[in-house]
Amino acid sequence: MIALTTPYLWYTTRATGMVTLILFTMVVALGTLVANRIGGTIVGRFEVNELHRSLTMVAMTFLAIHILTTVLDSYVPTGFISVLIPMTSQYKRVAVGIGAISFDLILAVWTSSLLKLRIPNTTWRFIHWFSWLGFSAAIVHGFMTGTDSRKGIGLIVVMACASTVLVAALWRFFGRPTRAAGRTALSPLAVTSGPQNTSGSPRPAPPSRPATRSARPLKETRPAPATPPSKSGPQPSSPGQRPFPTSPLPKEKKRRP
Amino acid sequence: MGMRRRSGTFVLQVNPILCDGFGHCAELAPELVKTDEWGYPIIVNEPVPLANVAAYESARYAERGCPRQALHIQRFSEKKPH
Repeated sequence: MIALTTPYLWYTTRATGMVTLILFTMVVALGTLVANRIGGTIVGRFEVNELHRSLTMVAMTFLAIHILTTVLDSYVPTGFISVLIPMTSQYKRVAVGIGAISFDLILAVWTSSLLKLRIPNTTWRFIHWFSWLGFSAAIVHGFMTGTDSRKGIGLIVVMACASTVLVAALWRFFGRPTRAAGRTALSPLAVTSGPQNTSGSPRPAPPSRPATRSARPLKETRPAPATPPSKSGPQPSSPGQRPFPTSPLPKEKKRRP
Repeated sequence: MGMRRRSGTFVLQVNPILCDGFGHCAELAPELVKTDEWGYPIIVNEPVPLANVAAYESARYAERGCPRQALHIQRFSEKKPH
């Protein structure tokens, strides 16, 4: 256990703690950008979302290093239990406990996001609100335990992270967008290109919409029938007056007798 | 993953209740999704053949990238008339 008594583990803990805080600040800020529908002109909205997701992975890696080095280090007496269960650490019981709370919340948010395709979206959203709480706990944890975050540059970094997320939270709360905040400039309709509906789609466009807004047919679509189409597709044939050209999802189909 | 079935068609479907008009699908699958003037998607109605790998990949990206999980890829085998 010679390696575990080196001071480098402790240095790694301190350094990765600071880096993790900065990374999660960026993650929360990017998530706010996604939720407030920022992007779509220079940077696509989906790119902000992907950056949010990818940066989470980096931040989780640094968080794992931060926790592992803390536990393995013999300089401060913490145990494996105190990673998840608060108030079980001998070293700075309250501060490390708040860190454990933060880690639990972050773990819940992360796991639910990894399972996002498999759980209901409302569940994921409910869990995702707790990321604010997790970040707040992380700030408190960093300030209370922080060897470096009490003075100098460390204090400046922590205050900058806290104020960034505070501004993001206020922006999220007061500037929350309406249900739909308009099309993005990356969507092809914003370009207003003309050659649409030339070959015609089998289903006529709904009469409430102009013809240019109907879906541009793909190359593989069949040519337009001369007669008004009697389409018996696999979708339930809905009349064109529906506001959304959709068919009900198959889950609803199964539930109905 | 092995060989992907290339026969049959698929349709990208949106659940309008879940959809909040983020517009990610129109960016990720521009050949399948247009947006109306409020930012909600208008999806190509006709079934797209699975042999159109680019469109299918776009649809999968759109399904994964939807912040509200409102998209669903419905696949059809070739036996059904369309």
